[in-house]
Amino acid sequence: MTASTDVRRLRIHVLRYNPAEPEKAARIQTYELDEAEGMTLFIVLSELREKHDPSLQFDFVCRAGVCGSCGMVVNGQPGLACRTLTAELPADITLAPLPTFELIGDLSVNTGKWMREMTERLEAWVHAKQQEVDLRRHEEHMDPDLADEVYELDRCIECGCCVAACGTAHMRTDFVGAVGLNKVARFSLDPRDGRTDADMYELVGNDDGVFGCMSLLACNDLCPKELPLQSQIAYLRRRMAKQA
Amino acid sequence: MRIVYSDVLVIGGGLAGLRVAIGVRRRGFDPLVLSLVPPKRSHSVAAQGGMQASLGNVIKGDGDNEDVHFEDTVRGSDWGADQQVVRMFVNTAPKAVRELAAWGVPWSRVRRGDREVIINGQKVTLTERDEAHGLIAQRDFGGTKKWRTCYASDGTGHSMLFAMGDRAIAEGIPVLERTEALALIHDGRRCHGAVVRDLITGELAACVARATVVATGGAGRLYRVTTNAVINEGIGHALALETGVAALGNMEAVQFHPTGIFPAGILVTEGCRGDGGLLRDAEGHRFMPDYEPEKKELASRDVVSRRMEEHIKKGHAHKSRFGEHLWLDITLLGRAHIERNLREVKDICRYFLGLDPADKWIPVRPAQHYTMGGVRTDHTGQNPSLAGLFAAGESACWDMHGFNRLGGNSVAETVVAGMIVGEFVADYCEGAELEVSTGLVREFIAREQAYLDGLCSGGGKEDPSALRVAMQEIMTAKVGIFRDGGDLAAAVEELRELYVRSNGIVVASRAAGANPELVTAYRTQKMLRLALTVAGGALARTESRGAHFRADYPQRNDQQWLKRTLATWPNPEADLPTLSYEPLDVMTMELPPGWRGYGARNQIEHPDTERRAQQVAEVRERLSGEGRFAVQEALMPYEQLLPESIRGRNERLGEKLP
Amino acid sequence: MTNTLAGRLAVNASVPVQASRWPARLDLAQSISGLLLALFMWGHMLFVSSILISQDAMWTITKLFEGYFFFGRSYPGIVAVIIALVFGLFILHAGLALRKFPANYRQYALFRHHMRGMKHEDTTLWYWQVMTGFALFFLATAHLWWMLTHPGNIGPFASADRVWGDNFWILYLFLLFAVELHGGIGLYRLAVKWGVFEGDDPAASRRKLRTVKWTITAFLIVLGLATLAAYVKIGMAHEDQRGERYTPAWVEHPEEHAP
Ligand SMILES: Cc1cc2nc3c(=O)[nH]c(=O)nc-3n(C[C@H](O)[C@H](O)[C@H](O)COP(=O)(O)OP(=O)(O)OC[C@H]3O[C@@H](n4cnc5c(N)ncnc54)[C@H](O)[C@@H]3O)c2cc1C
Ligand code: HEM
Ligand code: HEM
Ligand code: SF4
Ligand code: F3S
Ligand code: FES
Repeated sequence: MTASTDVRRLRIHVLRYNPAEPEKAARIQTYELDEAEGMTLFIVLSELREKHDPSLQFDFVCRAGVCGSCGMVVNGQPGLACRTLTAELPADITLAPLPTFELIGDLSVNTGKWMREMTERLEAWVHAKQQEVDLRRHEEHMDPDLADEVYELDRCIECGCCVAACGTAHMRTDFVGAVGLNKVARFSLDPRDGRTDADMYELVGNDDGVFGCMSLLACNDLCPKELPLQSQIAYLRRRMAKQA
Repeated sequence: MRIVYSDVLVIGGGLAGLRVAIGVRRRGFDPLVLSLVPPKRSHSVAAQGGMQASLGNVIKGDGDNEDVHFEDTVRGSDWGADQQVVRMFVNTAPKAVRELAAWGVPWSRVRRGDREVIINGQKVTLTERDEAHGLIAQRDFGGTKKWRTCYASDGTGHSMLFAMGDRAIAEGIPVLERTEALALIHDGRRCHGAVVRDLITGELAACVARATVVATGGAGRLYRVTTNAVINEGIGHALALETGVAALGNMEAVQFHPTGIFPAGILVTEGCRGDGGLLRDAEGHRFMPDYEPEKKELASRDVVSRRMEEHIKKGHAHKSRFGEHLWLDITLLGRAHIERNLREVKDICRYFLGLDPADKWIPVRPAQHYTMGGVRTDHTGQNPSLAGLFAAGESACWDMHGFNRLGGNSVAETVVAGMIVGEFVADYCEGAELEVSTGLVREFIAREQAYLDGLCSGGGKEDPSALRVAMQEIMTAKVGIFRDGGDLAAAVEELRELYVRSNGIVVASRAAGANPELVTAYRTQKMLRLALTVAGGALARTESRGAHFRADYPQRNDQQWLKRTLATWPNPEADLPTLSYEPLDVMTMELPPGWRGYGARNQIEHPDTERRAQQVAEVRERLSGEGRFAVQEALMPYEQLLPESIRGRNERLGEKLP
Repeated sequence: MTNTLAGRLAVNASVPVQASRWPARLDLAQSISGLLLALFMWGHMLFVSSILISQDAMWTITKLFEGYFFFGRSYPGIVAVIIALVFGLFILHAGLALRKFPANYRQYALFRHHMRGMKHEDTTLWYWQVMTGFALFFLATAHLWWMLTHPGNIGPFASADRVWGDNFWILYLFLLFAVELHGGIGLYRLAVKWGVFEGDDPAASRRKLRTVKWTITAFLIVLGLATLAAYVKIGMAHEDQRGERYTPAWVEHPEEHAP
């Protein structure tokens, strides 16, 4: 009975739909619960499932903001639910699944499938220059600053927030999104990857790639890892345009 | 009935699972990977600190080599490890780092010249060698003599898993994402694959394969407060246990990490202390030197965690609304260092605590962190009792960590094990055709389907979430850092009751598709079995070793307990596991039991220890002019155990290859 | 030894079929045409707003374009050529930009819904760029067509008569807002799209760019309104003498000086 008067009552509005039960139309369901100190949306949703509605679907894995599982639309903006403190939100919180991805149910979407397809399409892996590496010998030298720079772009967690935030991706389902463009930038920066700009042009030199981006920059502004998407896409665009 | 065939079924898409899959693919076999989540979301991604490999590129790593890494690891394990496996591991770790470098991990690199670091609270200037410029850098980590931990800023696991995941995609390895293994299909002698459940549609299917690899990661969610992901529920361990044939090794060996943020349990990396961060109590006093004058904050994790709890018990904790905790102080590292090298830590503090670690101390308390125990295997990764069942990574116990693993040794283990086990799995496949009757497969699917249907229609009334929370609380309170007979006996009893009650679990929701409530339900019973093996093993082991600390038996007792716990569950109707033991042979050890160099110094010796120590000393004496490789070879030959393709020495700045 | 130890890295040979370079060219062309149009509009605004200085100033500039000071008489044909060039550029730009339009109502609705939920400035700005672009499609076409067919009818009185007497001020009012918003957003987008003026801190530069963008747009709209007001005022005063051409006091019988 220590509940002080200043504890907020949160109203959580969840967009619910289970594709396995198409007879039930999509609807907004509202739950109420008391806010606690340090409460994140991970805690909120876990509590809702444990105590109110065991059928509620959502995805959390690391619950520490590093795995990219829990992207959802919180009051209109895509973000990582696990690291969103309720204290930073109004008492009315509307949660919806990330758009542009295949819906699994309620707040759960299939970003994994999308990301794998994107990776395959963009061949987003190191295309080694050498056929063979003798693992007993020293690794190839790499400039420390360059290594840091590659790491900066490697930090993407494939959460899909940039895609969900991108108006272009909403309109054009084949657009590779900022995540894809960042991958290309990352691998072309990597000295271990032997591909040239001309090779990269094959992958993103089209209107589903870098020339499809309309510089809406929501990706840049909402990326939870704060990747420098604006400058990377611009840089990539300049280099791809040079191929013309 | 859907049956999916492949050569190798890899259950788990973390570092270990993916590396095994890549290995078998390169040997020309078809792997199929199962994962609860997209592989890159596996918890390997959360490793921040780094990966141990004795490259010795930084000046503080100069002189490092396999021997030093070996000794550190064995000491860390409190002599619980299989020393041959440790040897295989330390020799392969540098190759694993280098392979990952070629696959794109942006390892942080050495920069020539002077740089300032904080060691032991003091500013020190280190001068890196010219010839090391651009090679992979190492940082300091707990329990190591040399700076050995390779890292990619503070997102090492992330960069490793992404490079590995991309590599797997490049090799065209199919992954069934959001698919869960529910049971291993076996005939009592050989494993033929698994019954799986699609976590989107809820459908059951069978994945049949020549070899099956369990690489399902840790089981931290047995505890209430853990650094582990919510999917680290130990289901893979339980799968093996439920065969009734395969054994789990050393399940009582559970590691607690000193610096979980309080109260959420999210980990802040050991790198904080490695880079010079300090632990402080409520009065702001740096207390670790009082307990561990030599290694201080950087003693091994079990020791630091225990000292912290000890200090809290003495009343020096800071008291907050949610309970008691201590402080981690990294303000002295400076904002620039934090923003550059410990950014993930900064983010965690900002998003989960609302504070800036460059200005303020971080509230911390030890939290469950690592499961040393796992599916028992030999050095090839194969289970001795169930042919065709392999295990690798955190869910395996081929036993390189013994009773405590060192920071940075785990992601290293996953990749190394993947490299080694992948080869042996391929060898196995070469000699083993796919031979399983569809009758057996159908039987297993039917059994699982009946079980799930029972959960939905049974007459019970138990709520799985409530049972699970009760289990987690018992584990944290009674099977935690400090253990004693009374608590453990109570824990076993209470867990047993929960387990019996779990037969009355009922699922209310009939939702089609994944049905998260059903998932909770069937996992809970598996977790309870596992919790019982942990608590039961801990109760039986009347000594303290590594992370397993018995307040009522504070000594390490080599005389009686230099042996590995093996737990099986042969009778599905039973409510307790069956424990047996496998002795470790002191006479074949390269490093006979001794003092770890930190922590208490009061073991009860094994009768063979002195004799073996003498032999070892003699060999060292006799071969003193012959170089370290000759000595090692004479003491404990191991290279013949490695797959041929990854044998061979490792080049270092001071150690050129012929 | 080396062989067995080799890391066995797969090399994925890239396929030598070349992807079309047209997407790159079209994107460049879109940007360049937009940039030229935007720069032209700055010049255009200075030109028409010269009326704010004096009617003589406006007359002088008009005559300059008509070649009067080079050839001693006016050739409205020169203006027609300029207009045709601008018209061409305009059509090119519009054609290229049309590719970016929502292809159907579904796409439009998706975007709008998304924009309203997200409340993200640059996303919303793009919407306005499309809307104003769409408006320009009609408004600017009308204006350009009119100019193309009446290249000689430009001047302090001729323009004022059109603005007021022929009620072109309604067209211009909409056109002014549309083009200034569109051009302003367009130039800002050009900067972020190609990464010019990024500096060391792209986020800070972008904030600055946005301020500059709004300032320029506001300035040009105010200038345009004032100009329009000036034409309206002259037009009202000149209502009785519609059709008469302006001749500065210092020029006598201007067209008679023709060679
Ligand atoms: C917060 C944190 C930080 C750490 N930092 C470090 C560090 O700095 N250095 C270090 O060396 N170690 C560190 N560790 C330990 C190390 O990260 C892990 O031990 C290691 O990554 C485990 O890898 P794995 O491949 O065995 O399992 P995981 O990466 O956990 O992968 C398990 C896989 O199994 C799948 N799976 C599980 N159950 C099933 C099932 N029933 N059916 C199908 N699939 C299933 C999952 O989907 C997942 O893909 C850290 C651990 C934590 C928790
Ligand atoms: C029919 C008339 C016009 C239409 C339909 C139109 C449409 C568009 C559209 C849709 C864009 C956005 C393209 C993208 O996001 O990639 C755009 C960009 C632009 N427009 Fe226009 N526009 C028209 C006329 C003009 C005029 C008259 C100007 C001059 C002020 C202008 C200047 C620009 C600029 C500078 C850009 C940015 C170019 C780029 O992003 O590459 N436009 N236009
Ligand atoms: C070479 C081509 C062009 C010529 C010669 C031209 C000429 C003129 C002239 C003479 C006026 C003054 C009013 C009048 O005489 O009717 C005017 C006004 C205007 N024009 Fe143009 N124009 C050209 C192209 C454009 C284009 C492409 C746009 C925009 C897309 C445009 C937008 C406007 C606007 C908004 C005004 C009103 C300005 C104001 O008074 O505020 N013009 N133009
Ligand atoms: S770029 Fe950013 S927003 Fe996009 S997937 Fe990667 S981390 Fe998420
Ligand atoms: S939001 Fe979309 S349009 Fe481009 S700048 Fe980002 S990808
Ligand atoms: S659960 Fe991993 S990022 Fe949120």
